[in-house]
Amino acid sequence: MTRSVKKGPWIDPKLLKKIQAMNASGEKRVIKTWARASTVSPEMVGHTIAVHNGRQHVPIYIQESMVNHKLGEFAPTRFFRGHIFREKGSKARKR
Amino acid sequence: MQPSQPSVEERRRGSDGTVDSSEPRFIAIGRIIRPHGVRGEVSVEVLTDFPERFDTLEVVHLGEAMHAEPWQITASRWHKDHVLLTLQGCEDRTSAQRLRGLLVQIPIEEAMGLPEDEYYPHQLIGLDVVTVEGEELGRISEILYTNANDVYVVIGPRGQILLPAIAEVIECVDLDAGQMRVRLMEGLV
Repeated sequence: MTRSVKKGPWIDPKLLKKIQAMNASGEKRVIKTWARASTVSPEMVGHTIAVHNGRQHVPIYIQESMVNHKLGEFAPTRFFRGHIFREKGSKARKR
Repeated sequence: MQPSQPSVEERRRGSDGTVDSSEPRFIAIGRIIRPHGVRGEVSVEVLTDFPERFDTLEVVHLGEAMHAEPWQITASRWHKDHVLLTLQGCEDRTSAQRLRGLLVQIPIEEAMGLPEDEYYPHQLIGLDVVTVEGEELGRISEILYTNANDVYVVIGPRGQILLPAIAEVIECVDLDAGQMRVRLMEGLV
Protein backbone atom coordinates (compact mmCIF):
# COMPACT_ATOMS: atom_id res chain seq x y z
CA MET A 1 0.00 0.00 0.00
CA THR A 2 1.33 3.44 -0.83
CA ARG A 3 1.91 6.08 1.82
CA SER A 4 -0.99 8.41 2.59
CA VAL A 5 -0.73 11.70 0.69
CA LYS A 6 -2.13 13.48 3.74
CA LYS A 7 1.02 12.68 5.74
CA GLY A 8 3.40 14.00 3.12
CA PRO A 9 6.82 12.46 2.37
CA TRP A 10 9.05 11.26 5.22
CA ILE A 11 12.38 13.02 5.25
CA ASP A 12 14.93 12.21 7.92
CA PRO A 13 14.78 15.30 10.19
CA LYS A 14 18.50 15.18 11.10
CA LEU A 15 19.50 14.96 7.45
CA LEU A 16 17.13 17.75 6.44
CA LYS A 17 18.49 19.97 9.22
CA LYS A 18 22.07 19.47 7.99
CA ILE A 19 21.08 20.14 4.38
CA GLN A 20 19.20 23.31 5.32
CA ALA A 21 22.20 24.51 7.33
CA MET A 22 24.49 23.91 4.34
CA ASN A 23 22.07 25.68 2.01
CA ALA A 24 22.00 28.68 4.36
CA SER A 25 25.79 28.87 4.62
CA GLY A 26 26.43 27.90 0.98
CA GLU A 27 29.00 25.25 1.91
CA LYS A 28 29.22 21.84 0.22
CA ARG A 29 30.38 18.71 1.99
CA VAL A 30 29.49 15.05 1.92
CA ILE A 31 26.94 13.99 4.55
CA LYS A 32 26.88 10.39 5.72
CA THR A 33 23.47 8.93 6.40
CA TRP A 34 21.92 5.61 7.28
CA ALA A 35 18.43 6.91 6.41
CA ARG A 36 17.81 4.89 3.25
CA ALA A 37 14.06 5.28 3.70
CA SER A 38 14.28 9.06 3.63
CA THR A 39 12.67 10.72 0.61
CA VAL A 40 14.85 12.97 -1.55
CA SER A 41 13.60 16.53 -1.09
CA PRO A 42 14.22 19.46 -3.47
CA GLU A 43 16.55 21.05 -0.89
CA MET A 44 18.98 18.14 -1.37
CA VAL A 45 19.51 18.76 -5.09
CA GLY A 46 23.15 19.54 -5.83
CA HIS A 47 24.47 17.97 -2.63
CA THR A 48 26.41 14.73 -2.31
CA ILE A 49 25.02 12.32 0.27
CA ALA A 50 26.86 9.15 1.28
CA VAL A 51 24.10 6.60 1.73
CA HIS A 52 24.85 3.47 3.75
CA ASN A 53 24.29 0.23 1.88
CA GLY A 54 24.83 -2.09 4.83
CA ARG A 55 28.59 -2.20 4.39
CA GLN A 56 29.81 1.20 3.29
CA HIS A 57 28.60 4.70 2.52
CA VAL A 58 28.05 5.12 -1.22
CA PRO A 59 28.47 8.77 -2.31
CA ILE A 60 25.47 9.84 -4.37
CA TYR A 61 25.16 13.20 -6.13
CA ILE A 62 21.53 14.30 -5.88
CA GLN A 63 19.95 15.48 -9.12
CA GLU A 64 16.53 16.97 -9.79
CA SER A 65 15.24 13.74 -11.32
CA MET A 66 15.78 11.92 -7.99
CA VAL A 67 13.31 14.09 -6.03
CA ASN A 68 10.49 12.06 -4.41
CA HIS A 69 12.48 8.83 -4.65
CA LYS A 70 14.01 7.19 -1.57
CA LEU A 71 17.75 7.57 -0.91
CA GLY A 72 18.13 3.80 -0.67
CA GLU A 73 17.13 3.38 -4.31
CA PHE A 74 20.46 4.91 -5.35
CA ALA A 75 22.77 2.89 -3.08
CA PRO A 76 22.45 -0.76 -4.12
CA THR A 77 23.09 -3.32 -1.40
CA ARG A 78 24.39 -5.87 -3.88
CA PHE A 79 26.71 -5.32 -6.82
CA PHE A 80 27.17 -7.71 -9.69
CA ARG A 81 30.88 -8.42 -9.98
CA GLY A 82 31.45 -10.01 -13.35
CA HIS A 83 34.67 -10.43 -15.26
CA ILE A 84 33.32 -9.03 -18.50
CA PHE A 85 34.01 -5.60 -19.87
CA ARG A 86 30.92 -4.22 -21.58
CA GLU A 87 30.90 -1.60 -24.30
CA LYS A 88 29.41 0.83 -21.84
CA GLY A 89 31.04 4.12 -20.91
CA SER A 90 31.50 5.58 -17.44
CA LYS A 91 30.94 9.33 -17.25
CA ALA A 92 33.81 10.57 -15.16
CA ARG A 93 32.52 14.12 -14.75
CA LYS A 94 28.73 13.75 -14.91
CA ARG A 95 26.71 16.76 -13.79
CA MET B 1 64.85 14.15 -9.33
CA GLN B 2 61.79 11.91 -9.50
CA PRO B 3 61.85 8.89 -11.85
CA SER B 4 59.55 9.33 -14.86
CA GLN B 5 56.11 7.68 -14.68
CA PRO B 6 55.81 4.44 -16.72
CA SER B 7 53.40 4.73 -19.62
CA VAL B 8 50.16 2.73 -19.67
CA GLU B 9 51.68 0.38 -22.26
CA GLU B 10 54.74 -0.13 -20.07
CA ARG B 11 52.56 -0.84 -17.05
CA ARG B 12 50.65 -3.45 -19.03
CA ARG B 13 53.89 -5.25 -19.86
CA GLY B 14 55.56 -7.38 -17.26
CA SER B 15 59.23 -7.16 -16.30
CA ASP B 16 60.05 -9.63 -19.10
CA GLY B 17 58.32 -7.45 -21.70
CA THR B 18 55.38 -9.78 -22.30
CA VAL B 19 51.89 -8.32 -22.41
CA ASP B 20 49.87 -9.05 -19.26
CA SER B 21 47.53 -11.94 -20.15
CA SER B 22 44.85 -10.60 -17.79
CA GLU B 23 44.49 -7.51 -19.99
CA PRO B 24 41.15 -7.72 -21.86
CA ARG B 25 41.37 -8.33 -25.59
CA PHE B 26 37.62 -8.28 -26.23
CA ILE B 27 34.72 -6.13 -25.15
CA ALA B 28 31.24 -7.58 -24.76
CA ILE B 29 28.38 -6.17 -26.81
CA GLY B 30 25.83 -8.90 -26.12
CA ARG B 31 25.06 -12.29 -24.67
CA ILE B 32 23.31 -15.17 -26.42
CA ILE B 33 20.16 -15.88 -24.46
CA ARG B 34 18.49 -18.69 -26.40
CA PRO B 35 17.94 -20.13 -29.88
CA HIS B 36 15.15 -18.51 -31.88
CA GLY B 37 13.15 -20.68 -34.24
CA VAL B 38 14.47 -23.78 -36.00
CA ARG B 39 16.80 -22.20 -38.57
CA GLY B 40 19.76 -21.53 -36.29
CA GLU B 41 19.01 -17.96 -35.29
CA VAL B 42 20.10 -16.92 -31.80
CA SER B 43 18.49 -14.28 -29.60
CA VAL B 44 21.06 -11.84 -28.20
CA GLU B 45 20.66 -9.62 -25.15
CA VAL B 46 22.23 -6.23 -25.92
CA LEU B 47 25.02 -5.19 -23.53
CA THR B 48 26.32 -2.17 -25.45
CA ASP B 49 25.50 1.53 -25.33
CA PHE B 50 25.58 1.42 -29.15
CA PRO B 51 22.94 -1.16 -30.22
CA GLU B 52 22.96 0.22 -33.78
CA ARG B 53 26.34 -1.48 -34.33
CA PHE B 54 24.50 -4.82 -34.74
CA ASP B 55 23.04 -3.57 -38.05
CA THR B 56 26.48 -3.34 -39.68
CA LEU B 57 28.42 -5.99 -37.81
CA GLU B 58 30.07 -8.71 -39.97
CA VAL B 59 32.21 -10.73 -37.56
CA VAL B 60 31.75 -11.34 -33.84
CA HIS B 61 33.81 -13.32 -31.35
CA LEU B 62 31.82 -15.80 -29.30
CA GLY B 63 33.13 -17.20 -26.05
CA GLU B 64 34.30 -16.18 -22.61
CA ALA B 65 35.98 -12.90 -21.72
CA MET B 66 39.53 -14.13 -22.42
CA HIS B 67 38.99 -16.82 -25.09
CA ALA B 68 36.68 -16.25 -28.04
CA GLU B 69 36.34 -17.57 -31.57
CA PRO B 70 35.37 -15.53 -34.64
CA TRP B 71 31.99 -16.19 -36.25
CA GLN B 72 30.70 -14.65 -39.47
CA ILE B 73 27.28 -12.99 -39.26
CA THR B 74 25.08 -13.69 -42.28
CA ALA B 75 21.99 -11.78 -41.11
CA SER B 76 20.75 -9.73 -38.18
CA ARG B 77 17.36 -8.33 -37.30
CA TRP B 78 15.62 -6.85 -34.28
CA HIS B 79 12.91 -8.66 -32.36
CA LYS B 80 11.45 -6.65 -29.46
CA ASP B 81 14.49 -5.51 -27.46
CA HIS B 82 16.74 -8.39 -28.57
CA VAL B 83 18.81 -8.90 -31.71
CA LEU B 84 18.39 -12.09 -33.73
CA LEU B 85 21.70 -13.13 -35.31
CA THR B 86 22.19 -15.73 -38.02
CA LEU B 87 25.73 -17.10 -37.90
CA GLN B 88 27.59 -18.94 -40.63
CA GLY B 89 27.87 -22.62 -39.70
CA CYS B 90 24.94 -22.52 -37.32
CA GLU B 91 22.01 -23.65 -39.40
CA ASP B 92 19.71 -25.54 -37.05
CA ARG B 93 18.32 -25.21 -33.57
CA THR B 94 20.63 -27.89 -32.13
CA SER B 95 23.71 -25.91 -33.22
CA ALA B 96 22.19 -22.71 -31.89
CA GLN B 97 21.46 -24.41 -28.58
CA ARG B 98 25.22 -25.01 -28.08
CA LEU B 99 25.88 -21.26 -28.23
CA ARG B 100 23.49 -20.45 -25.37
CA GLY B 101 25.08 -18.23 -22.70
CA LEU B 102 28.15 -17.21 -24.75
CA LEU B 103 29.24 -13.59 -24.85
CA VAL B 104 29.07 -11.76 -28.18
CA GLN B 105 32.31 -9.78 -28.29
CA ILE B 106 34.37 -7.56 -30.52
CA PRO B 107 38.11 -6.79 -30.35
CA ILE B 108 38.76 -4.00 -27.89
CA GLU B 109 40.27 -1.82 -30.66
CA GLU B 110 36.90 -1.78 -32.43
CA ALA B 111 35.06 -0.23 -29.46
CA MET B 112 33.10 2.90 -30.35
CA GLY B 113 34.59 6.28 -29.51
CA LEU B 114 33.07 7.88 -26.43
CA PRO B 115 32.20 11.52 -25.79
CA GLU B 116 34.59 13.71 -23.80
CA ASP B 117 34.87 12.80 -20.10
CA GLU B 118 33.46 9.33 -20.72
CA TYR B 119 35.68 6.26 -20.50
CA TYR B 120 35.42 2.51 -20.74
CA PRO B 121 35.87 0.62 -17.46
CA HIS B 122 39.03 -1.12 -18.68
CA GLN B 123 40.58 2.32 -19.28
CA LEU B 124 39.82 3.50 -15.74
CA ILE B 125 40.57 0.40 -13.70
CA GLY B 126 44.21 0.50 -12.63
CA LEU B 127 44.62 4.28 -12.91
CA ASP B 128 46.58 5.96 -10.12
CA VAL B 129 44.46 8.44 -8.19
CA VAL B 130 46.10 11.58 -6.83
CA THR B 131 44.55 14.63 -5.22
CA VAL B 132 45.05 18.11 -6.65
CA GLU B 133 47.39 18.73 -3.69
CA GLY B 134 49.54 15.79 -4.85
CA GLU B 135 48.59 13.15 -2.27
CA GLU B 136 48.49 9.61 -3.67
CA LEU B 137 45.23 7.87 -2.80
CA GLY B 138 45.87 4.54 -4.53
CA ARG B 139 44.50 2.79 -7.61
CA ILE B 140 41.02 2.31 -9.00
CA SER B 141 40.16 -1.32 -8.41
CA GLU B 142 36.48 -1.39 -9.31
CA ILE B 143 33.58 0.68 -10.60
CA LEU B 144 30.24 0.50 -8.82
CA TYR B 145 27.21 1.25 -10.97
CA THR B 146 24.48 2.84 -8.86
CA ASN B 147 21.20 4.20 -10.15
CA ALA B 148 22.75 7.67 -9.88
CA ASN B 149 26.45 8.44 -10.57
CA ASP B 150 29.13 5.77 -10.98
CA VAL B 151 31.39 5.26 -7.98
CA TYR B 152 35.11 4.47 -8.27
CA VAL B 153 36.59 2.19 -5.60
CA VAL B 154 40.13 3.32 -4.83
CA ILE B 155 42.43 1.14 -2.74
CA GLY B 156 45.59 2.64 -1.37
CA PRO B 157 47.43 3.87 1.72
CA ARG B 158 44.24 5.28 3.25
CA GLY B 159 42.40 2.00 2.74
CA GLN B 160 39.31 1.88 0.56
CA ILE B 161 37.88 5.18 -0.66
CA LEU B 162 34.69 5.55 -2.69
CA LEU B 163 34.82 8.45 -5.15
CA PRO B 164 31.67 9.61 -6.92
CA ALA B 165 32.17 10.20 -10.65
CA ILE B 166 31.01 13.82 -10.57
CA ALA B 167 32.54 17.03 -11.80
CA GLU B 168 33.07 18.37 -8.27
CA VAL B 169 35.36 15.45 -7.44
CA ILE B 170 36.99 14.28 -10.69
CA GLU B 171 39.34 17.05 -11.78
CA CYS B 172 40.86 15.33 -14.83
CA VAL B 173 41.66 11.92 -16.27
CA ASP B 174 45.01 11.50 -18.00
CA LEU B 175 45.02 8.10 -19.68
CA ASP B 176 48.49 8.58 -21.17
CA ALA B 177 49.99 9.19 -17.74
CA GLY B 178 47.73 6.56 -16.18
CA GLN B 179 46.50 9.07 -13.64
CA MET B 180 43.25 10.54 -12.35
CA ARG B 181 43.36 13.82 -10.43
CA VAL B 182 40.63 14.33 -7.88
CA ARG B 183 39.47 17.03 -5.52
CA LEU B 184 38.43 15.48 -2.21
CA MET B 185 35.26 17.06 -0.86
CA GLU B 186 35.01 17.51 2.88
CA GLY B 187 33.49 14.40 4.45
CA LEU B 188 34.36 12.09 1.53
CA VAL B 189 37.25 10.32 3.27
